Amino acid sequence: MGIEVALNGKKTVFESPASTVLLWALRDELNLVGTKFSCGAGICGACTVIVDGQQQRSCQMSLSDVAGKSIQTIEGLSSEIGKVVTAAWIKAAAPQCGYCQPGFVMAATSVIEANPKQSAEEVLSQLTNICRCGTYDAIREAISDVMTTLKKKGA
Amino acid sequence: MAGRAAKIARRTFLIGTGILGGSLLIGAGVGAAYVKRRLNAFEDYKLPASPGEVSFGAWLIIDRDGNISVAVPHQEMGQGIHSLAVLLAAEGLRLPAERVKAVPAPEAWRFVNPVVMKAQLPLDPHSESSIQAAALWTVSKLFRISGYQSTGGSTSTRNIAEQIRICAAVTLDMLTRAAASRFGIAADRLEISNGSIAAPDGKRATYAELAEDASRLDPREVAPPPLGAGAYSGRGIARADVPAKTLGLARYGIDTREHGQLYSAIRHSPKFGGKLLRATLPGGLPGVRGIVEGEDYFAVVAVDYSTALAGLEKADVQWQQGVGLALSTKDVFGAYRAALDKDEKYPSRWVIDSAGVTARPSIGVAAGSGSERRIVSATYEAPYLAHTTMEPMNATALVTDTSCKIWAGHQSPTVAKLLAARAAGLKFGDVELFTPYLGGGFGRRLDLDYIVKAVEIAKHFKNTPVQTIWTREEDIRDDFYRPAAMADLHAVLDGAGSLISLVYKIATPSLSDQLVKRIFPAAKGGLLADKNAADGALFPLYDIPNRSIESFVVDPGVPVGLWRSVGHSLNCFFMESFVDELATAAGVPPLAYRARLLERNKNNISRRARTLIERLVKYDAENPKQAARPGVKVGRGFSFAECFNSLVAQAADVEIEGNDIRVSNVFVVADCGFAIDPPNVIAQLRSAVNYGLSAALFGRIDLEDGKVVQKNFDSYPALTLANAPRISVEIVTSNAELGGVGELGTPGIAPAVGNAIFAATGKRLRSLPFVLSTGA
Repeated sequence: MGIEVALNGKKTVFESPASTVLLWALRDELNLVGTKFSCGAGICGACTVIVDGQQQRSCQMSLSDVAGKSIQTIEGLSSEIGKVVTAAWIKAAAPQCGYCQPGFVMAATSVIEANPKQSAEEVLSQLTNICRCGTYDAIREAISDVMTTLKKKGA
Repeated sequence: MAGRAAKIARRTFLIGTGILGGSLLIGAGVGAAYVKRRLNAFEDYKLPASPGEVSFGAWLIIDRDGNISVAVPHQEMGQGIHSLAVLLAAEGLRLPAERVKAVPAPEAWRFVNPVVMKAQLPLDPHSESSIQAAALWTVSKLFRISGYQSTGGSTSTRNIAEQIRICAAVTLDMLTRAAASRFGIAADRLEISNGSIAAPDGKRATYAELAEDASRLDPREVAPPPLGAGAYSGRGIARADVPAKTLGLARYGIDTREHGQLYSAIRHSPKFGGKLLRATLPGGLPGVRGIVEGEDYFAVVAVDYSTALAGLEKADVQWQQGVGLALSTKDVFGAYRAALDKDEKYPSRWVIDSAGVTARPSIGVAAGSGSERRIVSATYEAPYLAHTTMEPMNATALVTDTSCKIWAGHQSPTVAKLLAARAAGLKFGDVELFTPYLGGGFGRRLDLDYIVKAVEIAKHFKNTPVQTIWTREEDIRDDFYRPAAMADLHAVLDGAGSLISLVYKIATPSLSDQLVKRIFPAAKGGLLADKNAADGALFPLYDIPNRSIESFVVDPGVPVGLWRSVGHSLNCFFMESFVDELATAAGVPPLAYRARLLERNKNNISRRARTLIERLVKYDAENPKQAARPGVKVGRGFSFAECFNSLVAQAADVEIEGNDIRVSNVFVVADCGFAIDPPNVIAQLRSAVNYGLSAALFGRIDLEDGKVVQKNFDSYPALTLANAPRISVEIVTSNAELGGVGELGTPGIAPAVGNAIFAATGKRLRSLPFVLSTGA
């Protein structure tokens, strides 16, 4: 009798109590450590996952909040747009210490998937994640690259 | 230097060599033989290799497939040092970078970092004294045998670059000679390409095939090709850690998952210096395995962190009444003011004036007289700052009766093992350390209290790995802060606006005293001239004929530590803002004023400094700032800094709307001698600028009744995409000695922005963070 979700496309049952914070259930029960803990207050975005298509800060959700929903973590990022985002991210060499980057990638992917025809500036204005290495110039470059690529593809 | 000054300088050297490593007893005359043995061991060190692999010197391994491992004694925290080692090894061995990987160097004396130790010595880096050079050379050799490994001070590249280049050149020479011998052909007729060495008749052998024979030859002294001559230096390589970090596959300390691991949430005393009375968890909690009572903290240990956190909130805790600091920010700055006003409670620690290092308190430099002379005086302040690495403090420890395993990010394996052993009640050699990527260092991970506490907690659960994680709130209120400081600056200008004298007094804690005591609690403080207090003002390149810099140590008891660029983060803000005030008083534009201050000195470094000023002038002329709009004022400000053996100058553009300060563009021009990996140098400069800017706009740690006021990123905000400027970078290649880059961009951004705010509004902000208010 656990909490059932669709995790990265697979039916998954969490055994941890329903009150367990999603971030820790992912990290500690399932050992999916790509989703990161940084502030625990929903401010920094390092814990960003995609729940039913929306970016969510997993440190602010409990397992009962996601029962029956579909969750995507960085480990399961496989959509077309997700691939374009990660390719552009690598090309721009955005990560330095890299700790915040999976959260950024998830947030960017979800924002762009919501509307692939946005301008780069519109996408960037919706990314509130914190990066203490301050790699914002490279992130801007990556997003610009993504939106140009998508435009060419006629997405 | 005569008499007493020389004695103090020599004692400072000795103490400087003694602080970290603890084993130097030169003053006690311990064993010239011991020293010699250790120096020889240093020189003769050979990197251990597994079966099937062959090692060369201290740095390189060739495996069965002819792929290379390069040993890196520095931790990767985003600065790109692992990639730099790969670049130089690949270039030196004439291999594609993809065939080289970085591996952590063993913890051995061989991998000491003498560069960072040298940087602590209060010596004028511009001095051309051969006595000083000889003394430094000797001291460097002695630093080597301390075995102190560390990552920080923007020293990693300077520490390993030349060593790796030489090792690669010598190794390639050995491989070539082995091939020559095997083919019976002169070495100069062989062709080296893509990991093989070939004779004109087609005979060829790979590095893997030649490695064994090559390693048996005597190494020959071969000079490496100059930087810029090979495949990668001056161009860069793709960082190998980028894909893993993008895809969430890179592992950090907090990602450690050992079999049977428990998780612990820690809460420290709310007041600095507080002590725990008792902590219990009445009624327990499912999943909680125990509660650990430390001296000034308690921790809840559970099967997962979510449960541990719940336990922390449910715990019944009492702190000892009346124990701990009770002061507030006001008290700290009140004490600073008293010290600067010569309150006897805070004697002057040292003075460095135009004559060199002395220990006599300054009585002020003669201001002279004459009605044409102008006096410019100002008091500057800066607050305590937290580090807030994205990965909060954490460590995983597995303690048994005879061993201690640690998985944690850190910036010194030497200190990590020393402190872990002590906490576990074991010997240094009983500790095994596993170091993953660091989710940020910024100097915070040089203070390894989080490893100590993790060990103390794990001792209560012997034979079980326990991961202790600090919440962000704990991380912010139990940091080792960038010290707060207050400085009085007093300058005299002549009739033409030229600077005649500068008296600079700073009140701030002694970082060195605190750092030493944390590693060696019995150490006596007050011995070292703490360069950290006034770094950035100590030995300015500016021509200041009469100058005096005096330090007053005021330690309110708040823990302080190394924060990106350390003393420069304070004194560059004070100095470069003040120089702008002098320019204003002299009626000279700020860049022209700086050029004047640099024009007299004919040494190379001043020439390099003038080049950067000229680049700023050019940038300013070619890139007009945005036009003001209704309700929006604009301004551009500049700064110059010399730090970490490099030079940097910046221009910042601000837009002021009401009281809102927005930095739209920053231009950085930097000279680090030679940029081995230019794209990474650019990334580091941008990173350091944003780090300093975040602090300049938002950073303050306040105290109320001995407790830190700020809690999380809501009350201690960080720069985001919304307010990060566009930063353009120009690299100047001077081919001077290599300088550091990791912290280089930080000191100059605050004064550049402050000077821009003045240009836009006429308001001179002398304290950080920058706050404009309507009215005064």
